[in-house]
Amino acid sequence: MSDFWWEVIDPIQSVLDGMMFGSIYALIGIGFTLIFGVMHKINLAYAAASIGGAYASLAAFQVLDAPAIVVFLCAAAASGVIGYLVYICCFRFIPTAMPLATLMSSVGMLILIDEVVVHATAGMPEPYPAMFDDVMIDLEPFWIRGDLLMIFALSVIAMGILLYILYRTRLGIATRAVAQQPSAAQLCGIGQQNTNAVTFIITGALGGLAGAMVGASVGILSPLLALPLTVKGLIVTVIGGLGSIPGAIVAGLLVGGFENVFQYFRGVTERDIYVMLLLFVFLTFRPQGLFGRISSRD
Amino acid sequence: MLELRNLSKHFGGVKAVDDLTLTVNEGEIFGLIGPNGSGKSTTVNLICGVFPTTSGAVLFEGRDITDAPSHRVVAAGITRTFQNIRLFGDLTVWQNLWVSQNSAAERGKGWFGRWLGGDRVGRGDAEDLLKFAGLEHRSGELARNLAFGEQRRLEMARALAAQPRLLLLDEPAAGMNAEEVSQLAARIKALRKYGMTILLVEHVMELVMGVTDRIAVLNFGQKIAEGAPAEIRENPAVRTAYLGTADA
Amino acid sequence: MDFYYGMAQLIGVHTLLGLSAYVVLLTGQVSMAQAGFFAIGAYLGGMLTVLAGWHIVPAMLLAAAASAVVATIVGFPALRVKGLMLVVATLAFGEAVRIFWFNFDYQIAKGNIQVGPLGGEGFKQIRYFPENGWSTGEVAIFIWVWVVIVMAAIWWMDRSRVGSVLRAVGEDELAAQSVGINLTAVKVSAMTIGGFIAGLGGGIYAHYTTHIEHLNFGVILATFAIAYPILGGLSSVIGVLIAVIFIQGFLVEVLRFMGDWRNLLFGALIVLAMNVRPDGLFDARATRTIRRLFGRQDA
Repeated sequence: MSDFWWEVIDPIQSVLDGMMFGSIYALIGIGFTLIFGVMHKINLAYAAASIGGAYASLAAFQVLDAPAIVVFLCAAAASGVIGYLVYICCFRFIPTAMPLATLMSSVGMLILIDEVVVHATAGMPEPYPAMFDDVMIDLEPFWIRGDLLMIFALSVIAMGILLYILYRTRLGIATRAVAQQPSAAQLCGIGQQNTNAVTFIITGALGGLAGAMVGASVGILSPLLALPLTVKGLIVTVIGGLGSIPGAIVAGLLVGGFENVFQYFRGVTERDIYVMLLLFVFLTFRPQGLFGRISSRD
Repeated sequence: MLELRNLSKHFGGVKAVDDLTLTVNEGEIFGLIGPNGSGKSTTVNLICGVFPTTSGAVLFEGRDITDAPSHRVVAAGITRTFQNIRLFGDLTVWQNLWVSQNSAAERGKGWFGRWLGGDRVGRGDAEDLLKFAGLEHRSGELARNLAFGEQRRLEMARALAAQPRLLLLDEPAAGMNAEEVSQLAARIKALRKYGMTILLVEHVMELVMGVTDRIAVLNFGQKIAEGAPAEIRENPAVRTAYLGTADA
Repeated sequence: MDFYYGMAQLIGVHTLLGLSAYVVLLTGQVSMAQAGFFAIGAYLGGMLTVLAGWHIVPAMLLAAAASAVVATIVGFPALRVKGLMLVVATLAFGEAVRIFWFNFDYQIAKGNIQVGPLGGEGFKQIRYFPENGWSTGEVAIFIWVWVVIVMAAIWWMDRSRVGSVLRAVGEDELAAQSVGINLTAVKVSAMTIGGFIAGLGGGIYAHYTTHIEHLNFGVILATFAIAYPILGGLSSVIGVLIAVIFIQGFLVEVLRFMGDWRNLLFGALIVLAMNVRPDGLFDARATRTIRRLFGRQDA
């Protein structure tokens, strides 16, 4: 092979790895975007709740010594419960006309969840199980890490289940009805509070899976993961277009690949600057995001 | 004074305003009527630069103000009220007027006094308008605490605080009872005495027929008739499109 | 005594940070960029006194002016987005500033040691106060002179027409435009003023802690910045001061005996406070009640 070819193999490899990891960002982005779609609110505690759920599933790993896939499902279940608690504590009883209040309460929740985790684990990182982390699939000249492929596959399955729920079940149709016409949906007998709660539970479970995937790919869980995941998730949401699920998916993969290739070229300390620049480019030239409508700007 | 030339606004495939041409002369009260969704409010929003025109032009006193930003339209001498009242609810009544004092005369006052002058300065200037709107006793109240009719009056006073030469009233009688409508009519006639030009977009027929000099009728974004109130009342096209259904 | 001086310094600096977010919030913009402006003021202010040997006052003013310029530049693109989009955009900007300082090295030799910012190691030895023999008490007074000046200025602005115009824009942009307010000018000006005040706070912060690093200026600090005016209620600058005293004084210092648990309590209290008083602890009604109380005392 030519020298040029050798030059580009490593960057392409890092884009591939990054995109597979980016499926986690896509899951978090979908969570932000769904809650925004239904409530027109931002739930800043979302990524922290996802990490919290992953921590809760450690019980299944450490006490019951359950297999990794069971641990992941426990994370999803635990995060669904946390999602419901977040809804009750931060959104249910605060008037919808006060966006600042819910913004602040969900920040408080972010800090609270993070601190609970810190106290439960004495602030030490905990090992997290992975699947296929010893597998390396060789696709000359590239190779695929087994654990990243597993993350990607599980994320795709989770997205598939979510889309099935949203588009093929009564529950999902009710959710989308509330997102589009809250008052009309209410007249049709769809309870807005219930739909909101269900959305928080579903997105919570999705986030829990994402949190577990982070743990599985990094190998450890740490409360320090919550804030960067929040920032990346929000960036993915905005780049994808607020309220757009396909947008969040594409943007998640885009951001994942983008950050990894810049990590390859510029190192881990600088890579996030380029992710921010990508966001600013979008805000300047396409503020509605990849798939958003202009009207979603306010 | 105000001239709309072949003005059009399309939202996707919907022609909200379609090739509209009309002229409002200085000192007259011009009525713009039409059934719901006929493009009346869209026309007001196009004049005020709320959203961009698809084609055509807006001229005011001979100057082209097509697609000018809203605050430039105000500086040119046009202010408006809103169909669904949009006051600053957390500001007091007189602060609502104070915020609106953006006329050329105000600008001459010097930066410091205009922006950083204390309470008294603003209150003094607002008093005449408060009297006109019958709100002098409510001056220190938060706008959100006013009754519906008072809010309508305050919004009109706020539009006048910028000292416009053309006032756009977007359905000012919506939700008012008969007595309030007649008070509104008296207020509009009083404004004409001061030489104000008014474009009145309205649904309530007794108000339009009672105070306007000329009327244009819109249907599906197009002008279907124009003339004095008496002519409009007799116009068969208008009767079918609008008056027949509204039964006025 | 030093304990109280230290607390006064901390509360003073955080009040400036809260005031910077207050001005921007009045126009309805939730800016998570204040920590970024604060960082610019801190690093530049420190570099001017340590590396260039300036007096602290001109150093702080120039650093604050630089923050204001950056804030103006941020303000224009920020106009294109609102609400949640603005939160994310300003959050990303703040993080970008932090990461910039994380990667920024500029050191010179001073005597036998190297001074200046050094990437992840941070910027150590900002020793203007000890080198010039200022006592802790004097530093506290110096800080509070600035706080009082800024608070008085914003108090005045709030009561002038500017205050009403800012609030009008925050409440209803369309209505504000239609009474002749230039939205661009108002929002960018608010950003600029906010950037200046945050830069001022940052400049002071760098000098009294003597050691800054990028981790000081993260998302948590940005959250504090907007938490003060939101918790304090947006009706008066006094609310910001009370919120800072409540959070930094009461929660952080008085509850010190709770050790690490107070952060947990902090999160829980914010959630509780927003459920009980979504308008802030110190809203317009509370302001009026307190005024009435004082009125009665006078009579």
